[in-house]
Amino acid sequence: MPRNKVIPIAEAMAHIRSGMSIAVGGFIGQGDPLTLIDHLKTMDVRNLTVYENDAGYRERGVVELVRQSKIRKIVASHVGTTPEIGRAMNEGRLEVEPTPQGTLAEMMRCGGAGLGGFLTPTGVGTVAEEGKQLMELGGRQYILVPALRCDVALIRAHAGDTWGNLVYRGTSRNFNVPAATCADYVIAEVENLYTLGELDPNAIHTSGIFVDAVVRANIDYCVVREEALNG
Amino acid sequence: MSAKQTIAARAALELRDGQIINLGIGLPTLIANYVPDDVDVIIQTENGAIGVGPAPEPGCEDRDRANAGNQPITLVAGGSYFDSATSFGMIRGGHLDATFLGTLQVDGDGNIANWIVPGKMLAGMGGAMDLVTGAKSVYIVTEHCSKDGSSKLMRRCTFPLTGAAEADVIITERALFRRRPGEGFVLEEVAVGYGLDDIAACTDMSYAVAGDVKLDAYGEAPPEQA
Repeated sequence: MPRNKVIPIAEAMAHIRSGMSIAVGGFIGQGDPLTLIDHLKTMDVRNLTVYENDAGYRERGVVELVRQSKIRKIVASHVGTTPEIGRAMNEGRLEVEPTPQGTLAEMMRCGGAGLGGFLTPTGVGTVAEEGKQLMELGGRQYILVPALRCDVALIRAHAGDTWGNLVYRGTSRNFNVPAATCADYVIAEVENLYTLGELDPNAIHTSGIFVDAVVRANIDYCVVREEALNG
Repeated sequence: MSAKQTIAARAALELRDGQIINLGIGLPTLIANYVPDDVDVIIQTENGAIGVGPAPEPGCEDRDRANAGNQPITLVAGGSYFDSATSFGMIRGGHLDATFLGTLQVDGDGNIANWIVPGKMLAGMGGAMDLVTGAKSVYIVTEHCSKDGSSKLMRRCTFPLTGAAEADVIITERALFRRRPGEGFVLEEVAVGYGLDDIAACTDMSYAVAGDVKLDAYGEAPPEQA
């Protein structure tokens, strides 16, 4: 029988140590693993490198770890929703590597799928090709992008069972799916926890094979409603 | 009609029944308000949904249902959700008929610069580089000039590029240019209130004028002339 991966959050998060690389799911607040990020705020770690689409939304998300100087570098497609990131970058407190959104998602997907990298036409003739190898194939130019492997991944799902089979809801699926596959130790926070057999096998988005630890989400943050209220 | 509404209304006339499109944040989002009644388009949002419908009624927002700008959305019947790797497979894979994007600069070679102003606070390119590379048609919808009055249609882009030679059509509140193979951008339409000389005066980009260029093609006459 698949083993029970539900463990205390502190035990799961103890896998994170200074200097590690972390893939984070979510999209400007949609599906961000805020329970895990909140716990990370209490830990004594530094020099982290984070791979995430963005740094959260306004004051919430990975941006909070930047404020605490826990992060050395962020590889993201867009950090405009968290002004603190731009400030930290301009003041030399943080390195930011802008990466096209599709390229970042595919880096994670390839890393999780055992591939060395991929060829993308995105960004040819732009700064996205700087420091990368260009290859011509079938008369078209491509950028060779190495796959991404991280030490740890932090993700959030709407539902999960004790083995880590996960179901996402709506547009909160986003980067949680590829991030779940590309790290040595994957921690999933779930809004609703089920026993084995309760989730429909036809509806699983992330197989438990990718997940190492399951914890309950205890943050009920609704970025969409906040956006609707604040305009 | 404001300049942005004029641009969005004209851009909506480019849509064909059954097309699958992606609308950028800001001005391009307005295009959805002007889709002709006899045209049905399917809207993809790159954060992971297809079949985006009208905005929900206040109070009916769903926490897990938003577009790439975090605005709450609804989904039409037949719509679906997917992850980011799948979403950009759709985008790079040529499955989108058109993308509509604003810009900081665009030039006569179809180069687009819309993600960074050197020296200003970094935002990032988001999905724009993938969208201009992968969509079958790339529409630049933008006001003709910057706030300081300089032309956004440049002789040559000076900001870092989002895409090289990717722009197909440029629609401003003053004119519509379409890039033709071997000819570069061709001025096809001039909006109400402007003449060929006006367009020449406010356009740094090199372009040809179509033999059948349409004057008074779109937009509304200014109130004082009406």
